[in-house]
Amino acid sequence: MSAITVSKVAKQFRLGETHDSLGDLLAGLTRRLRNRIVGRTADEPARSGPSKFWAVRDLDFTVAKGEAVGIIGPNGAGKSTVLKLLAGIIRPDRGTVSVNGRLAALIEVGAGFHGDLTGRENIFLNGAILGMSRAEIRSKLDAIVEFAGIGRFLDMPVKRYSSGMYARLGFSIAAHVDPDVLLVDEVLSVGDAVFRLRCLDRMRQLVDSGTTLVFVTHDLDQMQAICSRAIVLEHGSATFSGDAGDAVGQYLSAMSREYAHGAPDLMEDQDREGGDVRVVGLSFFDESGEEVVWTRSRRAIRAELQIRLSRSIPRLVVELNMRASLTDNLLSINSGRDGRTFDVTSGDHMVTLSLPSLPVCGGQYVWNVRVWDSDSGRAEVDTPFRYPLVIDDEGCKTGKLSLPHEWSLTTQASVKSAAVSGVGGSIRAAAQLTISS
Amino acid sequence: MANTLEILRYRQLLTSLTWRDLRVRYKQSILGIGWAILLPLSMMLIFTFVFTRAIDARSVMKIDMPYALYAYLGLVPWTFFSVSLGNCVNALVANRNLLTKVYFPREVFPLACIASSLVDFMIAMTVLVGLMAYFHVSGEWTFVAHSSLWFVPVIVAVQIMLTLGLGMMLAMANLFYRDVRQIYGVAIHLGMFVSAVVVPVPTDGSLLARVIALNPLVWIIGAYRDCVIHGHLPSAGSFLYATALAMVMLVGGWICFHRASYRFAECV
Repeated sequence: MSAITVSKVAKQFRLGETHDSLGDLLAGLTRRLRNRIVGRTADEPARSGPSKFWAVRDLDFTVAKGEAVGIIGPNGAGKSTVLKLLAGIIRPDRGTVSVNGRLAALIEVGAGFHGDLTGRENIFLNGAILGMSRAEIRSKLDAIVEFAGIGRFLDMPVKRYSSGMYARLGFSIAAHVDPDVLLVDEVLSVGDAVFRLRCLDRMRQLVDSGTTLVFVTHDLDQMQAICSRAIVLEHGSATFSGDAGDAVGQYLSAMSREYAHGAPDLMEDQDREGGDVRVVGLSFFDESGEEVVWTRSRRAIRAELQIRLSRSIPRLVVELNMRASLTDNLLSINSGRDGRTFDVTSGDHMVTLSLPSLPVCGGQYVWNVRVWDSDSGRAEVDTPFRYPLVIDDEGCKTGKLSLPHEWSLTTQASVKSAAVSGVGGSIRAAAQLTISS
Repeated sequence: MANTLEILRYRQLLTSLTWRDLRVRYKQSILGIGWAILLPLSMMLIFTFVFTRAIDARSVMKIDMPYALYAYLGLVPWTFFSVSLGNCVNALVANRNLLTKVYFPREVFPLACIASSLVDFMIAMTVLVGLMAYFHVSGEWTFVAHSSLWFVPVIVAVQIMLTLGLGMMLAMANLFYRDVRQIYGVAIHLGMFVSAVVVPVPTDGSLLARVIALNPLVWIIGAYRDCVIHGHLPSAGSFLYATALAMVMLVGGWICFHRASYRFAECV
């Protein structure tokens, strides 16, 4: 029997506000009354028109008992809506959603915490909200506190907790509900790295012990670490459902299509806070000289940086950084470190950076630009990470680097003969990994 | 029906939310739960001062018991009614966070508002014993332990039904139209003076008196005084009217609330 069955589900949301004052209500009522009396005139649209949109359309999927399924997709694809539909927080306009067994939804950590109450009090309150009985909470209290690592802060009001502690406590409570079906929405982005790993471990543990998991996330690595199967959502419908690795590939190529359409807007948005230098744009070109926002891994790529100066700078240093995550640069190339400065006059200039290969795994990467006047040491420009470049690499979906490599197998003759003659010993196979850069 | 039973599965949550409301209300206050007594008591003192010292209206009002007792027996049920209703009005909007993030029967919110006020109500009622003892000892009035006291829980039950029904409707209405809270704020002030809380309502058969008699709270609050002070059950006709109305409110309010509850998370 499947734990979750979603069939032909559609959910519509209103754009803008529903009538929020009594004036609108009265207007609505008189219109309804008039319609009832005179009948709807043919030219009057059914009071929805363009002000509604389908957040989820024609969604069909099932999740087997004990299965871990990831839901991935770009922002606004309807991931959270699906989770809320599963949780029963909202109802579908069409179709049916059925969930078998006790359900716990972790849509926001610490939803329902009250700042004035202590950690302990909030554990009981939140536990009850998540459907645990008092006795159950009492028996799990120690485990919850230990997992959250809030020990001596247990009797302090949570309004004085750090945001990390707050999130840890929230996750810890939900992780101890022992539900049949656990829904988790993008909550592991909080807390420090160690805690994130523990959360992942805990989720894996729950899955191993038979809990059905639906995990919505942007972190493809996290998703693949837990889920065997994934569903890709785009514009409210599932465009792919199957092996988690394949889903990631599907998602990334969907992202590159999306970027191909949406990127110019992003780039035109200019950084006006810079000093005497303004970044007009950062564009990428592939081997054939065509401007791209997505390319395949390990291809030559050229970055063209257009800058506008309002004064001459004889020794200008340019730095380009690339990231896949929020915090760490994967690549940082600084002309100054390469012993190269640019003598530029006021006006428009283009700085070109050529890379013979960009050996990174498939994913979305973002770039930023920093420019210094090397004489004054003053940073003229430090843009946000807003220039996207999507790399498509079917063969490399997890990990960071995609390097050319070879495999080979060497079997030692003596060992082989011993094994064949049945005397004993072990077969030792040595795999050689050759990396050429 | 299945949905009504669902709320039973969540009774633990109801206890927790009630307890949260109480805990939060009295946290970081020196007197804590003592405020449950002090609030109606101070209101009683104010009205006693106004109607017996500032302007002597006792003769006009024709109250056959010490005014302080009259006012206290009106103010305590009235506070129970108005505070729970006021909390109900805000219950859904104030718990937006829970509403959009967690599923459980939404009925829990108004129920918890009433339950936490019920605790206050019961605490405040105990003071009545002291108050009656005071007037008994001072010789102003003689205490009699009437057998009609057993009826008090029935009155409380009727009041809860009425409050819950109204509370569900107002909570829901305020979620869709925030005007409701403002209107409530004005209406509750008027309500106090047409519910025989601190001044009797007119009974002269005029149109105004007949309209006010439609207010079930007049009969509910009157019933407390009948049972505790006068020692007889409230008049059957009017009390049955109040009970029937409370039941209609409860059933109607609950059905509307339940039907709309699936839209709460989207509209809040």
